[in-house]
Amino acid sequence: MRTLIVILAVLLLALASLALAPDTLPAPYAAQARALLPSAIAGLALLLFIALVAERPKIPAPAQAAPEPAQLPAIKPAEAKADAEVVNLLSIFQEKGRLVDFLMDDIAGYSDAQVGAAGRVLHEGCKAALLEHFGIAPIRSEGEGSKITVPPQHAADDYRLVGKISGEPPFTGTLIHHGWRAEWVKLPRLVTTHADRLPAIAPAEVEVR
Amino acid sequence: MTPRFSLGIDLGTSNSAIALSRIESESTQIVEITQALGPNRVGEKPTLPSALYLPHPDEFPEGAFPLPWRAAWRGDPIMGHFARDHGALAPDRLITSAKSWLSNPHVDPKQRVLPWKSEIKEEKRSAFDCSRMCLEHVKESFLHAMRAGGEDLDLADAQIVLTVPASFDEVARSLTAEAAEAAGLGKVVLLEEPLAAFYAWTAQAGKDWRAQVRPGDIVLVCDIGGGTADFTLIAISEKEGVLDLDRISVGEHILLGGDNMDLALAYALRAGLEAEGKSISETQFLALIHAAGRAKEAMLEDESVSEFPIAVPSRGSSLFGGTVSTKLDRATLEQIALDGFFARTAIEDLPQQTRRAGLQEFGLPYASDPVISKHLARFLTRSLENVKSSAALSSLIGAEARSKPFLAPTAVLFNGGVFKAAPIRRRVLDLLSAWSDGAQVRELAGYQPDLAVAKGASIYGRNRVTGKGLRIKAGASRSYYIGLESSMPAVPGFKPPLKALCVVPQGMEEGSEVLIEGRDLALVTGQPAEFRFFSSEVRSGDAPGEIIPDAERELLEISLLEVDLAAVEDMPAGQPVPVQINAAVTELGTLELWMKHAKSDRRWKVEFQVRTE
Repeated sequence: MRTLIVILAVLLLALASLALAPDTLPAPYAAQARALLPSAIAGLALLLFIALVAERPKIPAPAQAAPEPAQLPAIKPAEAKADAEVVNLLSIFQEKGRLVDFLMDDIAGYSDAQVGAAGRVLHEGCKAALLEHFGIAPIRSEGEGSKITVPPQHAADDYRLVGKISGEPPFTGTLIHHGWRAEWVKLPRLVTTHADRLPAIAPAEVEVR
Repeated sequence: MTPRFSLGIDLGTSNSAIALSRIESESTQIVEITQALGPNRVGEKPTLPSALYLPHPDEFPEGAFPLPWRAAWRGDPIMGHFARDHGALAPDRLITSAKSWLSNPHVDPKQRVLPWKSEIKEEKRSAFDCSRMCLEHVKESFLHAMRAGGEDLDLADAQIVLTVPASFDEVARSLTAEAAEAAGLGKVVLLEEPLAAFYAWTAQAGKDWRAQVRPGDIVLVCDIGGGTADFTLIAISEKEGVLDLDRISVGEHILLGGDNMDLALAYALRAGLEAEGKSISETQFLALIHAAGRAKEAMLEDESVSEFPIAVPSRGSSLFGGTVSTKLDRATLEQIALDGFFARTAIEDLPQQTRRAGLQEFGLPYASDPVISKHLARFLTRSLENVKSSAALSSLIGAEARSKPFLAPTAVLFNGGVFKAAPIRRRVLDLLSAWSDGAQVRELAGYQPDLAVAKGASIYGRNRVTGKGLRIKAGASRSYYIGLESSMPAVPGFKPPLKALCVVPQGMEEGSEVLIEGRDLALVTGQPAEFRFFSSEVRSGDAPGEIIPDAERELLEISLLEVDLAAVEDMPAGQPVPVQINAAVTELGTLELWMKHAKSDRRWKVEFQVRTE
């Protein structure tokens, strides 16, 4: 489950950047606006990540949990594998779109133009990675703002009804956000995982002369 | 045993792919290739970058690059996406374009010289090895994918078709076939890449394709990929109500393609950055090349975009502080990509030949003139020369086509990534039309930018098995000659011209052979004999047994031939033996030369020796 949440978070982030700064637009819109968008995304994403990390159930740390090392609750291989897969996904977004660099950098000291330039790196790379690994499609094909009918037997996570909810289904209303779904997921497989460590998100790079 | 399925393998200069066609069905599918995407990370991609990375023994821990069909990784060369991307940062250990080294006349493709000019301590690889490893990878990945899908296919049940550039000469072709055999693919059928693209087009257009061409058409297959340009002409005629297709001309090996365009744009962008006082590192320059390529594609696709922003990240972790930004504007793009590479030149403008300096490096023979228009003009001019030299080919194209100074195509089939951009396709059509005094040149609709060659090859394989469907008449792509030393009295300061004997005519069909009579040669048993070997793609009229008076002027030398007449009981060493030349083009499309004893059925195989100087 946790795996899903983190995947969703990463998705949301890349999506937000995708929605906010479509690169199909010609360049010369106001540099101000262009630069502000990534900062907004960054803030949102940071929050998401912090929330997620906070929510992470703590694996009992050896020192606190049990005085006798022999009785330590071992990390189950399946769980370790799931965590490793999440880090693997994160490392793809880092490699292609420098996601972790973007979020971990201190944004306060830079001008909007600098943040905007970095936002382009993030957007281009993360979008490519997103489209490569996920089949992304809107849940509803109608334009936002149009009147739609909510199918009565929908899956719980496909629709969120807001406003004044009363009467009998099927409900009708205005489409505020068309939603997104992943129709397929195709991730590179992580081959060897060591039970005692998570894979690196990005390797430390050293130029040897 | 009749094959149950057909495999088309596109062993590309920059990317390889494999397609599967089942004999009993109409569909053709690309089978994705499993490859290393990073240490401990594997995945599938439609293509396998033909890049080979030779890791330092201590660079990665043991087992870092497992593949499903390989037990354990112990520092073997790494192939595919990771190899290409990582190798760009450690170029000393990266081998790319190995395929082009197969047709390099100056370096033995079996010599371990790659990566070229690198100073690594580990053992280097030969171009032949690289092709073999690439094919082995494609094969293993395919079998693995089938097993994963619950099917255990046996390659013995397959018709395997391997594509080669039309510009490959016989030496490169036979090396490719040999590499396939060494990779465990058995005897493969060779098919020229532009023809494979044409087969893919006919399959995709369905029955409709016959409506798009008509008798009298001359179709130019214009295939420009990342690093190479390959041209072919196909004449369409009609016999008894059936369309007949003949491949009438192939081009030379031109090392020029889309990568050159990206590089040129990146140089221009870097110059702009430097003028603003910003400098970028070599690694950032690599990122700039990629970004320039993407900007080029986006801008050529959407012509309303007047400029495209480009951001090049720093190498360090600070993204905000280190990112350098610039933009590509339309004027620069058009000036470089369109007017630079596809300039509106005249048909008489041929590529500049660089003067060969006395001492030269035998690296890859990259095209020295980047203007593709001029290479195309040269190809079409030489094509006319080729067609005119043979009565059979002349009759295919009609008197009007022969009256121009070049062979004018009436339709074009595009292939290769460069032509994803509609403006570039349009420019080539405009150019051809301008050369033909405004006559319209059609584009055959249904251009498939990716993977057409692999698909076309597997479709061709299926047609071969069923005996149904289209077959383009092709045969040997060029004529071949053996050099004969002239017997003339020696004169100081004068080197007698080398005569050459035509042994294989252009267009000689698969599955046929010739015995050249009346030109008996004498070979001595017990010692190897060597002959110089030549080819020409513009002398379709030469018949087997014909003598060319000055080989060095008229023909292109491609290799040395060697034959070893071992002494046997009834022919002791030192005895001269009269022999005749026996040439065969096999069903698989490879050329075999034999020296046949004039008085018996005994014959000796002639082997290619790559010329090294």
